[in-house]
Amino acid sequence: MTMKNLRRFSQTLFLLLFLWLFLQTESKGANELGYPVKIFLDADPLIWLTTILASRSFYGVFALAITTIVATALLGRVFCGWICPLGTLHHLAGKLKKRTIPNKQVFLRSQNLYRIKYLLLTFLIVAALFGVQLAGLFDPLALLIRSLSLAVYPIFSYTLRSFFDGVYTWDIKFITVGSEFIYGFLKKTLLPFSQPLFFQGIFIGLIFFLILALNLREKRFWCKYLCPLGALLGLLSRYALLKRSVSEDCDGCGVCLRGCQGVACFSGSPGGAILDKVKEWKSAECLVCLNCDDPCPKNAVSFGFSRKQAPAALDLGKRRVLSSVLAGMAAVPLLRITPLAKVGAAEPTLIRPPGALAEEMFLKRCVKCGECMKVCITGGLQPTFIEAGLEGIWSPVLVPRIGYCEYRCTLCGQVCPTGAIRKLNLEEKAATKIGLAMIDKGRCLPFAHNMSCIVCEEVCPTSPKAIWFEEVRLRDRYGREVLLKQPHVDLSLCVGCGICETKCPVLGRPAITVTNLGESRSKDNQLLLS
Amino acid sequence: MNRRDFLKNAVMSGAALTLPLGMAPFLSMAEGADRPDLAVVRGASPARITSAAVNELGGMRRFVSRGDIVVVKPNIGWDRTPEYAANTNPEVVAEIVRLCYGAGAKKVKVFDHPVSDARRTYKQSGIAAAAAAAGAQVSFVDERKFKEMAIKGQILKTWPLYTEIIEADKVINIPIAKVHGIATLTLGMKNWMGIMGGWRGRIHQRIDESLVDIARFVKPSLVILDAVRILVENGPQGGSLSDVRRLDTVIAGTDQVAVDALGTTLFGMKPDALGCIRIAHSAGLGNMNISRLRIKRLTI
Repeated sequence: MTMKNLRRFSQTLFLLLFLWLFLQTESKGANELGYPVKIFLDADPLIWLTTILASRSFYGVFALAITTIVATALLGRVFCGWICPLGTLHHLAGKLKKRTIPNKQVFLRSQNLYRIKYLLLTFLIVAALFGVQLAGLFDPLALLIRSLSLAVYPIFSYTLRSFFDGVYTWDIKFITVGSEFIYGFLKKTLLPFSQPLFFQGIFIGLIFFLILALNLREKRFWCKYLCPLGALLGLLSRYALLKRSVSEDCDGCGVCLRGCQGVACFSGSPGGAILDKVKEWKSAECLVCLNCDDPCPKNAVSFGFSRKQAPAALDLGKRRVLSSVLAGMAAVPLLRITPLAKVGAAEPTLIRPPGALAEEMFLKRCVKCGECMKVCITGGLQPTFIEAGLEGIWSPVLVPRIGYCEYRCTLCGQVCPTGAIRKLNLEEKAATKIGLAMIDKGRCLPFAHNMSCIVCEEVCPTSPKAIWFEEVRLRDRYGREVLLKQPHVDLSLCVGCGICETKCPVLGRPAITVTNLGESRSKDNQLLLS
Repeated sequence: MNRRDFLKNAVMSGAALTLPLGMAPFLSMAEGADRPDLAVVRGASPARITSAAVNELGGMRRFVSRGDIVVVKPNIGWDRTPEYAANTNPEVVAEIVRLCYGAGAKKVKVFDHPVSDARRTYKQSGIAAAAAAAGAQVSFVDERKFKEMAIKGQILKTWPLYTEIIEADKVINIPIAKVHGIATLTLGMKNWMGIMGGWRGRIHQRIDESLVDIARFVKPSLVILDAVRILVENGPQGGSLSDVRRLDTVIAGTDQVAVDALGTTLFGMKPDALGCIRIAHSAGLGNMNISRLRIKRLTI
């Protein structure tokens, strides 16, 4: 097996592992998921570094992130070229690009754009230093998991479901039997338990498809020019021991440039010096794809370990770097000049998942990867828009009208990669309030309409139930006596799970609603005296 | 009840009315056994009391014929483990499944339309594993299989019901006995809420009439009321072991009103405490007069 095939094998393996773990990020009914579904995010040094900087605290497992750092320092950006699942998707999407450009034009492309990713990285790290975690918006793994969870997988599920439902309703004997068999198999394997539906799925999906489409402009556009993780790994790989060397046999034909997945093999402007430049190599831009090794007609290219050969300097321009630093600093007050942080002014519907840290710390930890929304058993966890400020965009919020928080489920805390949502045990979960339910007597059937109901009391999961009822004798419009049970909420027992709101038969604007008032994680957002 | 049973019963009861009282025992012998209306069996093993109760009623062959497709409908409504008594006891369910296959059933299906997440209720209740081990086809409800049906009841004119129940040859209801806010108790008839689709919470407005409407539409061949553990507080989902009483009992019968009527006594109530029992009785769906029923009590 050539090294290039080995690389392809590695890419396939890691992509499949990633997708398999993604599919496992779903409840099977047990309390524990049973698989380390966040392992890729654990191995992500950008997430690790920015979270530590922003939150000024260490968290969870970091052995994998350190491993990535050490591997990069020794071997270069192997993570990008051999492991990163988004990188592999870009690699595949890049295959769609027509290869009709002559060799010469390879040199003419956006050669200086590669700086963008370093400037973005600078911006993100400075912002993190000043306490704002924005890396998750651009980190390739967080971006990929978010896009798959909130857009691509829902699209996949919707398409297959509507196809099989269509065949089911035609009800043609043999075809339907066959299609139902396949559908049953898919439901057990590839399809989600129920159709995922997310607010903003369309925007998150469009951003993802746009990023993929950039490969048509230039293959691996994202990896070369935009990816902040790639930039971080690039910086770490400047003194990598694995180096590319070109022997004197090189005649500068430029064949090696065509397959290059990075922007490693040329710098400078096109001109008479191109041929010499073929020998030049930027370790920080090389994805170690080894595409340049095989096609060399002179067999002049080789990769090997060596300590000599000083790396080419990374010239970003002082002004540009300074601008990114300033932008990172300015982002902090810009994002924070909102009254949302004032006690009592926060958005009351911002119900965070159980185990979420206090809002300020939560925002410093949450990387918006969407794992919690993917795993949420009822689909109630949705991405925020600006309810938590722009800083909190795409962070999780429970929308009880869509789905409630299952009383004995702790999955969101199990999958959170940065501990923004703590992993709770069942006792802690039962004692964690995410809000309080209150009744709207103007809409509640037994209060407003003298009708029997108390669905909320039936479904209330605490013991004793937070929702209790009072038996009252009232009269209807004809003077007949009606015996009714009117619900009340015991605020000391209510955990704010929202099942009452989800199941309330007064649809649209329910007669019982949960707000985040009383959430355990907040010191200030409280109602009860004790 | 098939035609042959109907004719036989009609002849027998007709004969019973014309004969002097002293002849009754001979008639029941002629019927094949000294069959009670209800069997109440108490004992430490949920599986053994279940099979004993079915035995007292004449054995599963009386209810299930060779080649039948049988739906066994437990209560799998809540995300609770068996000791919390929110769902039917898994050993009772598994035993019924085994008895059905023993009687020659072709296929036994087990499902419910839970209130909590179905994956968790099926798993945490222990029912999915126990029933599947006994050979049942355990499946989650498929929304496509709820079909609007003409129930023509007092309150429910039409409602989406689960077609697999309607299409089954035999239906066996195995509820668990629990207290319940709006319905006071949830016993056999209340368990039919688990075959309803749509926005079920609406039936709380007229819960008793609605339950009788469904019970009249879906007549079970056999009802086993699981009272191995009952929930006496915080029903129907409990959540604390102090809400649970262990009775180690099952009640079996073919008359769903009679089973529910006797079920109320487990909670120290009288049958007329439940609206749905009163309404079902007066609608002729069954008999709530416990004193008129032949009840076989057994401890094993």
